[in-house]
Amino acid sequence: MENFETSFGSVTETVVGPSVKIQGDLNSEGNIRIQGHVHGNVKTSESVFIEETAKITADIQAGNVICAGEITGNMKVAGKMIMQSPSHITGNLECGILQVEDGAVFNGEVSMGNQKKVQAEVEEE
Amino acid sequence: MHFYILDPTNLPAERFEQLQVQLSGLLAEFNIAGEMVRVAPLRRIPDLVDLASQRGVRTLVACGNDDTFNMVLANLKGRDFTLAYIPFDPDSALARILGTKDVTTAVKSLAARRIENIDLARIDKTFFISYLEFGVLSRNIKSINLWNVFKLVSEPKISLSARVDDSYTINLECMGGLVINSRSSSSSKESVANPTDKHLDFLILENLSKMFLFQHKESIISGRLEEIPGTTVIKCKKLEFLKPAGQALTMLGRVISKFPATVEIQQRSLKIVVGKDRTF
Repeated sequence: MENFETSFGSVTETVVGPSVKIQGDLNSEGNIRIQGHVHGNVKTSESVFIEETAKITADIQAGNVICAGEITGNMKVAGKMIMQSPSHITGNLECGILQVEDGAVFNGEVSMGNQKKVQAEVEEE
Repeated sequence: MHFYILDPTNLPAERFEQLQVQLSGLLAEFNIAGEMVRVAPLRRIPDLVDLASQRGVRTLVACGNDDTFNMVLANLKGRDFTLAYIPFDPDSALARILGTKDVTTAVKSLAARRIENIDLARIDKTFFISYLEFGVLSRNIKSINLWNVFKLVSEPKISLSARVDDSYTINLECMGGLVINSRSSSSSKESVANPTDKHLDFLILENLSKMFLFQHKESIISGRLEEIPGTTVIKCKKLEFLKPAGQALTMLGRVISKFPATVEIQQRSLKIVVGKDRTF
């Protein structure tokens, strides 16, 4: 199983703890690690790590995503999307590279190959 | 010209006289003597800052404890001073942050004019460069033994609600937290508590078991909550504490404000004299 730090290196800037509930748009300039609940939108040009305890009802735009938790929403990932066990993802996905591990559940459509367009959208703002 | 504000608050008269003599000697030695004024009941810090401004002073030096510095800071009112701090209190948290741990080091730093531009944070009308605490972190914990662990765990939990950067709301039950501009236990290699990054760091300590609390006591004592698994870390420019109403926000254990309150980083920065051992 890939580790967030070994995959994407730099220090995590935002950490959402396991008992935190966020409502609204979570924007960050750095890496985000989510262990709690987020309802709204998540946006960063860096990486997002969604842990097993996380439950996200949000659209996500990010540089890279590693998911082991639950996501309901559409995702635009400029770089790599890794679905780890026991992730449960419902929504459409646009990404550059997709890696699905045994035990991950994904319901939705995947679109790949539009990397430049997705990257421009993620880095917008 | 340097303008020195000497505050004898909380010091025995004899100790204050000793420090004053030591300071005068060092200022003469390093050739940075200026006008020295002493805080008195009829000449309080706001009056002295106004006096310095009238005299066209460029470098204002707060000599006393952390409250002296914070009072000077609160009364700058946007005027363009370079600020320096000479600590008369050996336990000064600000002196550790700025790397001016004692009178001699502070005077040497002032003579060397090592100046940094640092962020200025504001809560209500109070400006600060250090940090605010709430919940168990307001206890100014010096050591954690078994008895302290029981006391901390039995403290009432806080149902926190806060709005971050006018963008999202955060809700959770927690033990306490910190809003950090800079702190005495950080290092220049860290992304947390950097007073030059134009951001505040909001650290929230979730409810911990006795065992977990004991296991991470060093991190709690030093305020390095980000080292504790499950701690929420948020970088932001503006933080509005919404609930619970009446919850105290403290600075080194002294109540500064109560919820609801807004903390934000200011656009303008502060020119401040620092030592080479500063924490940022």
